[in-house]
Amino acid sequence: MEADLQAHVAFFLTGKTNTSDLDAIDRLKLRPALFAGYRDLTQLRYDFPLVLVKDQPAGASVESLSGLIDGILEKIARGSDADRLRKHVLRLEQHIRAQAANGTEGLLSALWDKAAKALAKEDKQISDSLSRARANLKVDGEVVDCNGSMPYHLVGHVWALAQTQRSKRFGEIVNRLVLKLSEILQADFANSNAGRTAANLKRTFGSGPMDQFDFDAMSRILSKSAPKENLTKNRKKRIEKLLTTLKSQQFFPTPASSNKPYVFSFDSCNDAIKAYRDRLPKAIELSKAVAIAELEVRGEYSEAKHDRLFESFGENGLDPRDMAIFPDYLVRLHADTLPGAELSSLTEIMSLNLPIKVLVQTDDVIEESPISNGHLAFALRSRQLARMALGMAGVFVVQSPASALYQLRESIVRGLDCSGPALFSVFSGIAGGHGQLPPYLIGAAALESRVFPAFTMDPTAGDDWASRFSLKVNPQAELDWPVHKLVLEDADCQTQTVERPFTLIDFVACDSRYAKFFGAVPKAHWNDTLADAGDIIARDKWDGIDRIESVPTLLMINPENQLQKVIVTEKIVREARRCLSMWNSLQELGGIHNSHAERLLAREKSAWEESSKAISAASTVAAAPTEVLAPVAPAAEAAPAEKEAEKSSDEAYIETARCASCNECININDKMFAYDGNKQAFIKDINAGTYAQLVEAAENCQVAIIHPGKPRNANEAGLEDLIKRAEVFM
Amino acid sequence: MKLSATKQLLDLYKEQSALEDYQSGVPRWCTGCGDNAILTAVQRLCRDEGLRPEKTVFVSGIGCSSRFPHYMKTYGFHGIHGRAFPVAEGVKMSRPDLTVFVNTGDGDCCSIGAAHWIHALRYNMNMTVFLHDNQIYGLTKKQASPTSPIGTKSNTTPRGSYLDALNPLTVSLGVSNVSFIAQAVDWIPETLYEIVKAAYHHKGFSFVRIIQRCPEWLPKSLDPWLQDPERVQLLHHANGLQISQGLSRVYKNQVEHDPLDIHRAREIASNTDIIPVGILYQNREVACYEDTRHSGALRTVEAIKKNFNAELDKYSV
Repeated sequence: MEADLQAHVAFFLTGKTNTSDLDAIDRLKLRPALFAGYRDLTQLRYDFPLVLVKDQPAGASVESLSGLIDGILEKIARGSDADRLRKHVLRLEQHIRAQAANGTEGLLSALWDKAAKALAKEDKQISDSLSRARANLKVDGEVVDCNGSMPYHLVGHVWALAQTQRSKRFGEIVNRLVLKLSEILQADFANSNAGRTAANLKRTFGSGPMDQFDFDAMSRILSKSAPKENLTKNRKKRIEKLLTTLKSQQFFPTPASSNKPYVFSFDSCNDAIKAYRDRLPKAIELSKAVAIAELEVRGEYSEAKHDRLFESFGENGLDPRDMAIFPDYLVRLHADTLPGAELSSLTEIMSLNLPIKVLVQTDDVIEESPISNGHLAFALRSRQLARMALGMAGVFVVQSPASALYQLRESIVRGLDCSGPALFSVFSGIAGGHGQLPPYLIGAAALESRVFPAFTMDPTAGDDWASRFSLKVNPQAELDWPVHKLVLEDADCQTQTVERPFTLIDFVACDSRYAKFFGAVPKAHWNDTLADAGDIIARDKWDGIDRIESVPTLLMINPENQLQKVIVTEKIVREARRCLSMWNSLQELGGIHNSHAERLLAREKSAWEESSKAISAASTVAAAPTEVLAPVAPAAEAAPAEKEAEKSSDEAYIETARCASCNECININDKMFAYDGNKQAFIKDINAGTYAQLVEAAENCQVAIIHPGKPRNANEAGLEDLIKRAEVFM
Repeated sequence: MKLSATKQLLDLYKEQSALEDYQSGVPRWCTGCGDNAILTAVQRLCRDEGLRPEKTVFVSGIGCSSRFPHYMKTYGFHGIHGRAFPVAEGVKMSRPDLTVFVNTGDGDCCSIGAAHWIHALRYNMNMTVFLHDNQIYGLTKKQASPTSPIGTKSNTTPRGSYLDALNPLTVSLGVSNVSFIAQAVDWIPETLYEIVKAAYHHKGFSFVRIIQRCPEWLPKSLDPWLQDPERVQLLHHANGLQISQGLSRVYKNQVEHDPLDIHRAREIASNTDIIPVGILYQNREVACYEDTRHSGALRTVEAIKKNFNAELDKYSV
């Protein structure tokens, strides 16, 4: 056992072995044990293939095939033949999935019909089930499996739908403005002398009994009643210019537009920036035309005020919300084209908040280090892009392997429709040394192993990280690594269940390029010193190891699903620790095990415990009968009731705020009583009338808010009686 | 900034009108009439909200209340008896860009126009309706209206009216699609204004019953409520009205009521001993008929011609 351990430790530390006991994992065709259930994905129901739904503006833009089939089954699989229907329709789903996995492309309806035709040959019942299901298939669209071109198609599809919506909204604005502006010109012409000539009146009359009308007479009558004022020259010129600008715009195809629309989809950031810069003056001109046209249509354009304002319109660029009416630019590129000028263009897009959406597809996240064999830098280059974008305010960021794009579809829709830049960093899983493993499985493994975690950063969702940043698509995001159950059968044919984390080590073990960093231990040499790698690399454990008494191993399986133990070299363990550290920092951004929050919580907890102790001690004292304890300080003293400005009963006044504007007092004396700006009465001039009028107004007031006070003129007649009458209003 | 820079620019030089800019003529209403209070509240609203006179329409039927459009320097339509709602609906349907108000009385709305009233509630078109309820036909010199209290002596009921009064609030709250029901009284101008304002801001059919005094024909009928503030119950809620301290000193009978609770609203509305004042019901989710039916098509000359010809073709032989 000691000799085994020495040999294993030597391999662990150096990747070399002096014994022939360890076997190469690529020769044995091993794969991680947790992949045991995923040999043939076409037999499984999962998110893929996807259907890129067309012609459903109000519905979802992307659906999973399984989701659509579930929806259909929910409608039709009822009653006595429910099981039969379910069985047949699920077989159809499997056929379509297999077609997509084999690279067949096309509309769902076409793939469906092809699969249904093949199945229907078996018996009539299948044909019946499938035709009933087909009648309930309400959507159609391109079927795409999780492969190298899927992110390109998916993002392009969602982007195109967002542009169609924008185009529709913009078209409504432009068409309405063109119509209203044209109507202003038409009305002006109809009111002009030229518009009221007999010839023109005849032209506008349409068809009918023309000879019954004397258009000359009509022209004479109408010309006399023509309005004196026509459109000013300036206004007419302005409106004509607006119409020209609106009709010649090239940003959207509209019936009013006479020019060919621009293209907004590019393969390079540089080209997209160039197009954006070239078109910016036109965008500003159009935006200005829309704004002025709105004012013209509302009749609010004032040359004195607005001319100067619009002279400098757009000099400092446009507000992103104003830019949101224009189409966004889309760039789709591969990460290997990025280094150099493209990367600097991408940085410019993000730092300048340009309305350009960029999809960067990475095909290999554990590429070999460009420096030398001694350096591994897994996933760093591909992940730094999205991390860099996180640091730039206002950029919508989505990072995800292709396998999780369906789960993130709502974020993708939001990102493609937001008003600023967006970066979609996607790992496709098609390159590298993964052999025959399907891209979906590689993508899912990258997500599970935290090699390529998924996250979204939505700057429009709120002001803080908690609202903007989300890690929710990652499995078991609160843990360092997701833990899964593995069901084994031992040598005695007894079932055992063990739990194993899925780590970077599992992910790298799938890649033949790194097979040399793994060594399979023949079963005869298995012993207790072969520890679980996941356990060793766990948080806080690695640094505490001062003497190697066990080596980290990974559970793998051969093509016959037999379990193998594989020693992992130290370099890979170190990479796993680095990957964990990067994941932990993402977790902190996502509010999971946030060190600041945890410290604050510990501090508050300690303060709370201290204060509890103090309160508990105080209550003990209070329990003593001889002492009188001061009451616990109330949370807040009751605010003193607001004192109304007391009016002297000698002074005449009106409770103006309660006046119902009924005109009673004003009708008695409009010098003495008047209305304020809100048309509520007050005493304007007490000397403008008699005490008798004050008392009479008080008596007539519908809401009894006039208080006559004491008389000011002691010589007024009948004072005694008036004072008595006024008493009730004091 | 809530609005984009361009939107701010568009509103930069928006003209502001003074209260007097909305006043037209000298109201012919009797001195002391509650209609004056409503007119003041509405003119204040127009000023404070900056409503453009040429984009604002007041539609009315027949009665004292229905003289309202004459006193507003805006567009107005003094319609026929009981038909203010259909006219207003037509205006809104054709010109959704206009702000539409309806002034109607208890006779105009609850008697001859009752059918239109019920369906206008159900259609929920975006307009603000003031039911000037003085509980009597005033313009024709004192006949009992549907809301006259039982026993009201009038020219048509010299021995006193025989039926319990119709309650416009409970009727309104029983109609499907109802979206805003409030009650105000003319003698508390502060809440009258606040309710008028809330009704204006509600997108949908905002129905405000305003109980108003008729100093000429029923001078004493509302005295019990006028003289005893305890018999006026102010409804307040975070989503409804907030009551000022000044008002709270006079009107101490207050109750918190969630305007989304229609069952409680019906219960409150049924109380005839106490006059509830505030927003009884408000549901912002009810769709407006003009939005539901809006086709989005522009009314171009060609479209109008086409539709017109299609109509005429129905009668061609």
